[in-house]
Amino acid sequence: MSRPSTRHSATLIAGCVTAGLIALLALVSLLWVPYAPDDTSGGRLAGPGGGHLLGTDKLGRDLFTQLMTGSRIAFEAGLGSVLIAAAIGITLGVLAAFTRGWLDDTLAALLDILIAFPTLLLAMLVVAARSATLASAVLAIGLAQSAVVGRLVRILVKRVLAQDYITAARTSGTSWPRIVAGHVLPNIWPTLVVNLALQFGLAILAEAGLSYLGLGAPPPNASWGRMLQEAQATFTTAPAGALAPGILLVMLVIGVNLIADGLRDTLDPAARGRR
Amino acid sequence: MNITKISLYSGAALLGLTLTACGGGAGGSGAAGGAYDKNATVNIGSLYEPQNLDNTAGGGQGVTEALNGNVYEGLFKLTDTGKVEKLLAKDYKVSPDGLTYTFTLRDGVTFHSGKKLTSEDVKYSLEKVLAKDSQSARKSNLEVVKSIATPDARTVRVRLSKKSISFVYNLSYVWIVNSQAKNLKTSEDGTGPYRLRKWTRGSALALDRFAGYWGGAARNKQAVFHYYKDATALNNALLTGAVDVVTSEQSPDALDQFKNNQNYKVSDGNSTTKLLLAFNDKAKPFTDVKVRQAVSSAIDDKKLLESVWGGYGKLIGSMVPPTDPWYEDLTKVNAYDPARAKRLLAEAGYKKGFTFTLETPNYDPHPIAATFIKSQLAKVGVTVKINTITPDQWYTKVYQNRDFTATLQEHVNDRDLVWYGDPNFYWGYDNKQVTQWVDQAEQASTTAEQTRLLKKVNRKTAEDAASDWLYLYPQIVVANSKLSGYPVNGLNSQFYAYDIKKG
Repeated sequence: MSRPSTRHSATLIAGCVTAGLIALLALVSLLWVPYAPDDTSGGRLAGPGGGHLLGTDKLGRDLFTQLMTGSRIAFEAGLGSVLIAAAIGITLGVLAAFTRGWLDDTLAALLDILIAFPTLLLAMLVVAARSATLASAVLAIGLAQSAVVGRLVRILVKRVLAQDYITAARTSGTSWPRIVAGHVLPNIWPTLVVNLALQFGLAILAEAGLSYLGLGAPPPNASWGRMLQEAQATFTTAPAGALAPGILLVMLVIGVNLIADGLRDTLDPAARGRR
Repeated sequence: MNITKISLYSGAALLGLTLTACGGGAGGSGAAGGAYDKNATVNIGSLYEPQNLDNTAGGGQGVTEALNGNVYEGLFKLTDTGKVEKLLAKDYKVSPDGLTYTFTLRDGVTFHSGKKLTSEDVKYSLEKVLAKDSQSARKSNLEVVKSIATPDARTVRVRLSKKSISFVYNLSYVWIVNSQAKNLKTSEDGTGPYRLRKWTRGSALALDRFAGYWGGAARNKQAVFHYYKDATALNNALLTGAVDVVTSEQSPDALDQFKNNQNYKVSDGNSTTKLLLAFNDKAKPFTDVKVRQAVSSAIDDKKLLESVWGGYGKLIGSMVPPTDPWYEDLTKVNAYDPARAKRLLAEAGYKKGFTFTLETPNYDPHPIAATFIKSQLAKVGVTVKINTITPDQWYTKVYQNRDFTATLQEHVNDRDLVWYGDPNFYWGYDNKQVTQWVDQAEQASTTAEQTRLLKKVNRKTAEDAASDWLYLYPQIVVANSKLSGYPVNGLNSQFYAYDIKKG
């Protein structure tokens, strides 16, 4: 087999650079931000430049500071949701694929229902049961995505289980946990990672959507979605407030998708062969 | 964003007939001095679509905006400047003990269905407001009504159980409906200058001039209310000419595009909508007057108003806006003074501050105000946890169950100071003296006496920091300059369309 072509690596590198820049912002925000998040000394809707790189919002808070905090929240939302989705999805998917019979059917039906259930509605339910926090939003997104992951894992595992080497392993007396760890997971891993990377991007978008609706991270947390919502009314007079979080959101999601594409090209032997 | 104003109507909105402050600017002048199109269609843009068309069935503020005065009329009307004038009542007499009101109805009034107005309809309409299932905002105010008699077709006699100086004012909120009418949630039968042509849910409500109107005919042929979910879309509609006037702008930042354009006229009228940081006066630590005063002194209201509304709006030091007769400038009471706030906190035993949860409705301007309050209170050592809730949650959790420590809420009505006289109201302010003053004011014989007593209530509640009154909203109407004669004050969210001339 040939090495992945340079075009494929370029995709991965472009993705890593784009998302990496924002990851860097998020990391730096843990240690340092230009202004305190609740510092309202900047004056209403000050323009970019001067003491404030991107200007200020209605309350006089520094926009760049909010963007940095927002990128941290975006990563928290993305990682948190994907972790929940992976944990639940992989468990259910493997379980369904192995059990077959009525349990498989039930689980498959459950996953299909969960997929059909709008993420937004699910999030509203979770928020109503708990309260509007980042954790609630992450939980809701993670639950919704676990169905997608679960269904994918179920199909992938079933395909692997039909292979001869599994039959060989079983006849040689290998225990089920060892088959899962040693044969199944390594074989579905490439496809799964690509899917999880895509889910990461989707989770960030979903969190921004929820925050836009006031169902995500509560104020004063500077989620990008909340920033967009707050800047909506002042878009004609102070466009930076809406443009900046919008551009970062697009950059991050595109970056993550490029990474997913690059990973697929690098990891998935089937796809590699076709090129 | 869909802006849901939770409209909490007064337990006893008090009013004298003539003693009203009239502060509003005049309607837009524009091109139409005399020449105007008598058959014009006026397109009105609004964010408040009615839920249904019955104001005793929870239709929301949109019902008042579209139908009050346009389709339905009361015995009295509240003008745009806040005066109460006779409308369907030609005359009325009050007995010396103040308990019997005798109304004589105007002649020649017919409903849109063609039936003549009689005293039976008035009785029916009043009873409809007082009915058990009525959700009328004025139900509790009118519960002083003991009996309604109709000696003849043109006379209505109402007996009250106790004196009520604001009875006539409250009647301006009671629509006179045909007693034989059906399906009032989706159709209408009033006496107003317009009849309903068509209500397209989610989009528009069209009114046609009523040919059989008893008074002066509407100055335009059609008034159409167009409903938008989003303020930006509404402003765009005005820019593209899809609507001629916007009833109430909700953000100052869109205004520049109209202010610098001679095709539009921006009016800054009087509003009665106040933004409150309402403490639960029955929950610790806000049971302590010093803590309430401290929090009020720690928040720079001026900066908040500037942040949310640019140069618009006004500061208030109490529940009373300048248009209420018992207004007094109390902005100096518990004014912004962080040093005083720290001192008061120390005196109350909270030298190291405390933490409380602020129940914050999830629509503008509450989240931004909550953020601001959090940052201000942090400077005096008080930690605020912001809990975002929906309007429904606010209604059950805060308003009904009183399960809160402090909350943000906008209060839209005029003359709603009197709620501080009700110890069972959601904010739990309980001062026997204030309750007594409010009671006496309602039973006062003269408006001067009423005003004197309510001024005392005003000052006392302000000094006690019963709530923290952050600011008074502006009421901004933007119209095409071809338009004139539209209301600019939007008291209680009514919008009379019949005087609008389109040049």
